Amino acid sequence: MYKWYAIKRILKGIVIYSLLIFTFSLLFNKVADETQRSQIEEQVRAEAMRQKGKKAEEIKAFQDQRRKALIRLYGLDKPYFEKVISRTVKTLTFNFGKSTIIKSSDGDRDVRKIIFETIPRSLLLFTLAAIIELIIAIILGLKKAQNPGKSLDKGTTLVTMILYGLPTWWLAMLLVMLFAYIIKIFPSGGMYSSPPPEGIMRLFDMLYHMILPLATLVLLGFWGGSFFIRNIVLSILQEDYIMSARARGIPEKKVLFGHTLRSAAPPIVTMVLLGIIGSLGGAIIFEGIFSWPGMGNLYWIALQQNDIPVLLADLAITTGIYQLGLIALDLIYGFLDPRIKVGGKA
Amino acid sequence: MSQFMEFWNEFKRDKSGLVGLGILILCILLVVFEPLIIPYKEAGTKWRSIEYWQDNSQSAPPVWTNLFTKTKQAASADLRDFSKTVDADGNTIYQFHYNYQYDLAPYDLIIRAVGTGTIPLTVSVMRPDKQVIELFSTSLYNLSENEPIRISILNSSRDSALSFVREFESEENFGNIQTMSAGVTEIIFSEAKPGFVQNQIPLKGNYIFEIKVSQPIAEEGQEIPKVYFEEPHISVVGRVSGLLGTDNSKRDIFSGIIAGLKWALLIGFFTSIISVFVGVIYGIITAYFGGKVDSAMMFFWDYFISLPVLPILIVAAAIFKPSIWTLVGVLIVFSWAGSVKTVRSIALQIKEETFVEAARALGASHGRIIFRHMAPILIPYSFASMALAVPGAIIYESTVSLLGLGDTTVVTWGQILNDAYQGQAMLTGLWWWIIPPGLAIAIIGMTFAFLGFALDRILHPKLQTR
Repeated sequence: MYKWYAIKRILKGIVIYSLLIFTFSLLFNKVADETQRSQIEEQVRAEAMRQKGKKAEEIKAFQDQRRKALIRLYGLDKPYFEKVISRTVKTLTFNFGKSTIIKSSDGDRDVRKIIFETIPRSLLLFTLAAIIELIIAIILGLKKAQNPGKSLDKGTTLVTMILYGLPTWWLAMLLVMLFAYIIKIFPSGGMYSSPPPEGIMRLFDMLYHMILPLATLVLLGFWGGSFFIRNIVLSILQEDYIMSARARGIPEKKVLFGHTLRSAAPPIVTMVLLGIIGSLGGAIIFEGIFSWPGMGNLYWIALQQNDIPVLLADLAITTGIYQLGLIALDLIYGFLDPRIKVGGKA
Repeated sequence: MSQFMEFWNEFKRDKSGLVGLGILILCILLVVFEPLIIPYKEAGTKWRSIEYWQDNSQSAPPVWTNLFTKTKQAASADLRDFSKTVDADGNTIYQFHYNYQYDLAPYDLIIRAVGTGTIPLTVSVMRPDKQVIELFSTSLYNLSENEPIRISILNSSRDSALSFVREFESEENFGNIQTMSAGVTEIIFSEAKPGFVQNQIPLKGNYIFEIKVSQPIAEEGQEIPKVYFEEPHISVVGRVSGLLGTDNSKRDIFSGIIAGLKWALLIGFFTSIISVFVGVIYGIITAYFGGKVDSAMMFFWDYFISLPVLPILIVAAAIFKPSIWTLVGVLIVFSWAGSVKTVRSIALQIKEETFVEAARALGASHGRIIFRHMAPILIPYSFASMALAVPGAIIYESTVSLLGLGDTTVVTWGQILNDAYQGQAMLTGLWWWIIPPGLAIAIIGMTFAFLGFALDRILHPKLQTR
């Protein structure tokens, strides 16, 4: 039964993803058209420059002919709807084409290459932050749930509320100003020093560059998580099987980590996964401030440079990862909690 | 009414909720009385006007930083009180008193007025040591009607300041001073004795600035032209300025923050109320009808929940260049989906209750059951979600503005932060430019978190006992 549930969920995800890409193609149609036209214009001009020893009229005729051929080649003369569909298909098959300005680290203008080299950088930063946050959140959440209503619980809940609307990127700006410009102990941005050191020092250099962004994320990240875990754990602690476990004389540590956390796992997994996949695309400003060369930063640069192919590809990949995460979440959930599958039948 | 009192009695017990309510009321009062509070009344509408801010000092720290420093820096001020006398020759004299109690002179003094026609003008200052410096004397020709007059002392009084120095300095010292850029204001506000330009000792006390508008001499056979010179005042361009300082475009940050408050509240309220309301109704409808309608509507919902809001919002803002209202509209489109799922699950339970069945048996229409019977139970539940959705909406707007894609006809906190980021405020350590806007966003977020959590605590159990 789980197999059918899984297949159904994956199919639904694929359909939704296709629809999303179709929407993006609609949204981007005009600007992408313009970009491609200017790229063609550039190419035609470059080719005309190479035609030596020809008269002005001949060159003009040549240019017109080349322009027409290229427009047909890229399908720009096709009707509106057909263009949108073809762009959708191209995006879905990861045919992003060439970028207009942005280059990958080894100077390539292949959009796919540009995007794929940024993904691991974002993933590294945000996954590491999520793991640290999760550890702190579980410890604090359990402490809060053990003594609900006591000063520790109340105090940390108050801090959670105070920090509720504090933008992460604002704290990032403050910390950069404080620790990179006023007290110069951390680098102001980037992933490596330039030139990057060799060997093992390269790793340490990256860790050194990662301290400030990581600290920003963790400082704000674990409060909400610990509050969430506290609420779940608190409701589980009132269950009968916990009481019977305690009555049987099972040590409190085992009750907490063995019985309670096992039941609390599905929602906690959701929280962590959603947090990671959400920040991959959503940390545009955060990465921008730290010049962390991840997907969000690339998105910002692409927007500023008006590099539409990179922008569209970045958006498509971000959405794809998000969609994959949602599917994975449902599958894990169905696995961890059999009741979901019954609901999935409807 | 009694229901409300019951709710209020519960609410009163929640201290953080009360604090939230207090800050919210304070914010609304600030918005209502904004014109009385901010020193620059047109900050909201003329935020990007260079002319409006030109008399301010650039990147000046807040005035209260003087409390923590040993050398007190002159604060920006606007001298508007004057005494007007007419002397025997018919010249009008305007006297301004300026009590100078600082260690560092202001950058500049700017004479402002409006005038018409030709105006002969002399400006001088009497210092606390009874020395009089005639700063400059000039004639303004053929001003059109009520033309604004703006004369900077820094630009027009250099020569007279130097000749004042000559009276006290030795010849060789004076030669050195001429080549270096001796500040006009430093000369005016320092004790006059040999070597005083190099080692400035501030001369504290009462300075009297005098603007003399001379009576023009009538030409042969003509009537004496009437001199029109009104609303004179002197702007002191200080080294520290205002409650929260100024930015690198000379704008008063305090005025900007207060002027941005109404937009933050407006974006927050509109986006959260409408989107949560739409979400609640959507959730009820899909739960109520069930079956195929439910499947179709939940698929549509799945589509919306899969949109990465921020990237799309940014692209949409870049392509369509939205006004603040369209931005609110776009935010609603992207954020209504958030509350659907919980509402749907509760509505699925309520749908099976006997009172819904009874209503249906009595022949009530679907619309009546949804809006009159089910929605009134679920809407109060959503008050908490509404309050908790406000900070998100404000942060989304600031994020879009921070990227320079916001509505440039208004001033929002995100735009102030954008200017700060673009103006290298982090690099140059202009903390008074970065901290206030972000802190304002954080405080509003905290306020609505307090309210939302309190509402959640009160409203949630009620729903379950029903």
